[in-house]
Amino acid sequence: MSRPRAERTLLKEHWVLDPVSRRAGVATIEVHSGKVARLEWRDGVAEARRAFIEGAEPGPKDPTRLVLPALVDLHAHFRQPGAGASEDVASGEAAAAHGGYGAVALMPNSEPAADHPALLRELTRTTASRGVTLMPIAAATLGRAGRTLAPMAELAAAGAVAFSDDGSPIADPALFRSALITAGALDLPLIEHCEDPALTKGGEAADGLVATALGLRPWPAVGEISAVSRNIALLRDAIRDEPRARLHLTHLSTGAALDAVRVARAEGLPITCDVTPHHLSLTDAWIAGDQRWAWEYEDRHAPNLTPTADAYNTNLRVCPPLRDASDAAACRAALRDGTASAIATDHAPHSRERKEVEFGLAANGIAGIETALSTLLAARAAGELPLSLVAALLTTGPAAVLNRPALARGLAVGGPANLVVVDLGATWVPSRKTLIGRSINTPLLGKSLTGAVLLTLLNGEVAWKAE
Amino acid sequence: MPAAAAPHRHLLDVAGLSWSDLKLLLDTTEAARRILRSPAGRVDALKGVGVTTLFYEASTRTRISFENAAKALGANVNSATVASSSVGKGESLVDTMKTLRALGSNVIVLRHERAGAPWLAARVFDGSVLNAGDGWHAHPTQALLDLSVLLRNIGAEDGTLRGRRVAIIGDLLHSRVVRSNLHTLRAAGAAVRLAGPPALTRGFAEAAARSGGVTLCASLAEALEGADAVMALRIQRERLDDGEVSSLESYREAWGLTEERIAAHAARGCVVLHPGPMNEGVEIDPDVADGPRSLILEQVAEGIPVRMAALWRTVRGDAPLIVPATAKVNS
Repeated sequence: MSRPRAERTLLKEHWVLDPVSRRAGVATIEVHSGKVARLEWRDGVAEARRAFIEGAEPGPKDPTRLVLPALVDLHAHFRQPGAGASEDVASGEAAAAHGGYGAVALMPNSEPAADHPALLRELTRTTASRGVTLMPIAAATLGRAGRTLAPMAELAAAGAVAFSDDGSPIADPALFRSALITAGALDLPLIEHCEDPALTKGGEAADGLVATALGLRPWPAVGEISAVSRNIALLRDAIRDEPRARLHLTHLSTGAALDAVRVARAEGLPITCDVTPHHLSLTDAWIAGDQRWAWEYEDRHAPNLTPTADAYNTNLRVCPPLRDASDAAACRAALRDGTASAIATDHAPHSRERKEVEFGLAANGIAGIETALSTLLAARAAGELPLSLVAALLTTGPAAVLNRPALARGLAVGGPANLVVVDLGATWVPSRKTLIGRSINTPLLGKSLTGAVLLTLLNGEVAWKAE
Repeated sequence: MPAAAAPHRHLLDVAGLSWSDLKLLLDTTEAARRILRSPAGRVDALKGVGVTTLFYEASTRTRISFENAAKALGANVNSATVASSSVGKGESLVDTMKTLRALGSNVIVLRHERAGAPWLAARVFDGSVLNAGDGWHAHPTQALLDLSVLLRNIGAEDGTLRGRRVAIIGDLLHSRVVRSNLHTLRAAGAAVRLAGPPALTRGFAEAAARSGGVTLCASLAEALEGADAVMALRIQRERLDDGEVSSLESYREAWGLTEERIAAHAARGCVVLHPGPMNEGVEIDPDVADGPRSLILEQVAEGIPVRMAALWRTVRGDAPLIVPATAKVNS
């Protein structure tokens, strides 16, 4: 399906930030025939470069309309094939466009798992009526069962951008090492969900005050940390045989795991990691009904533990679980110091049937691709993350993890017009009416968010436009 | 019904109840006790109100005392037992709540093996939900009856538990009884001393450090020191399978309540409680359970008036439970 091409789009005097060309400031952009036809910095290019370097942010007198290059997501679940009641490629793509995303890597947790070249081809052929680039991540092992390597070379030829058994960590260390080496020989990263299931079995909420008070089964931090440590040791060993082996750890949630990655990166190991918008902005106290942003605690260990009427909201059940304010702060610190080089949504839509159940029986996951940018803008407004960093973590950061710079080509005259326009002053409330994905399992339902996507252009065409 | 108009439409938890909320429930319990002692032993105060006990876990005393309490108030009582709430087996909790509402239930008394289940039930039900125990989390009416029994037996002159020490011993991690008792005992002003095998006190050191008046002790003797009351918690066989306790013998050796230990460490006149069902000879010796310190049968009996008060409060709010004149004469 092709959309009518908007012949011309004029974005006059917007606040523009481009982490690729490294420029920021007020500019006018004209889009024509799918490309950026004109990009004029009001105060000149030199000033835009200086403003970027100095970390300029839009001030009160500046335009509230922000333009960024279209966003890139490393980690989403569009549930196709297998769970169309929760999401499919079409609804997921629409949700992505609403979130400002132009490229999305899809995890292989479908039914059946994306472990066969035909399945990957089918997925990329299904496409993409709005023009979002869909990038399949193939299963590392057959059926994501952790017993036999998937046909990685064939999967790479069919378009896999990475390998992962996301949601089912590869328990067997020898198999994990083989997966690293085999993926490395194909020059693709292995993406790992770090969890030791023997430690986290039955876990409902992060081990800590909230779980204790609410009687939820504890999911201890060490369940993540021990897996991270093991995987780093295996990576160190694997690169002796295959120097191109690369390991990316997804949705890290604990300060100690991020510390381990920091040390491994300092050592020079080929390791990267991401964190999610929810782990850096929410805490486990939300399960009790204490709905403050993670940075709003004066004392990081002083949540309100008395359950409110909204307590035990299953839209907060996620793996790894939400943690306390100090772990959320560690996620933001890791982004600031470069330990984590991308923000990934882990967009995990679930139908009502899988969420309108007892907390401990609910499916894990948050549908987050439509609220990611607003969440990060809240962190930015609180002084937690500078705007230029947010932009990089949502564009060049994930593109670098996949070693695909073409995913984030920035805003350049003559280049494809892939961009998102955000009204920094607009507030919106996530609800069944405002969200367009098939599932709305987000804890942000009913919360007022600042920063609304007005327009997503992909190759100059409207992928999403606010009414 | 808007929540603001009926802040106590449900009884999901004792956390968050103030001392005056608790006092009102205890005063209502007193009125309920007088009704039970009257010649009729019942009133028609909740005539026409449909009360359903919906239990996803086995229970004898809680279920029967809720049913007797509802009958003593004149309610229509029925019960539903569900073997398991596993996903994919049978009807979901939400659908069950809607079904029961359509069948005329106004009040659901819910026992469930998962923490938080009553919150889900309350969100989809326009009547009242009473939590009869949710997983490891809360057992509000048990804590209320324990409080009522403790106030009667070791209460201070001002009608609180100020200056009193209450020890709770055993498997804290899996215990909804201890979690709810911590709220009510602290609201009543008691000092609470906790102890149990380290694998089964997980999280409680951190929680105790954060709350005034609660201490996690390293040994039974330390927890019993000067205690005016001690409550033993049930140890379940699953704890052996999970490797959290090596044997019942070793458990008794370290944590079992014996007369010698109580006499050696606790205050004179220290009373003994147990939420039941008991493993006699493991967490509590038979001569303690059946001995002069024991309030265990009093706890069981207290369940009926306390649950009458809880039912009354959720259905009728702050209205007083009127005791018939004849009952007053006979009380």
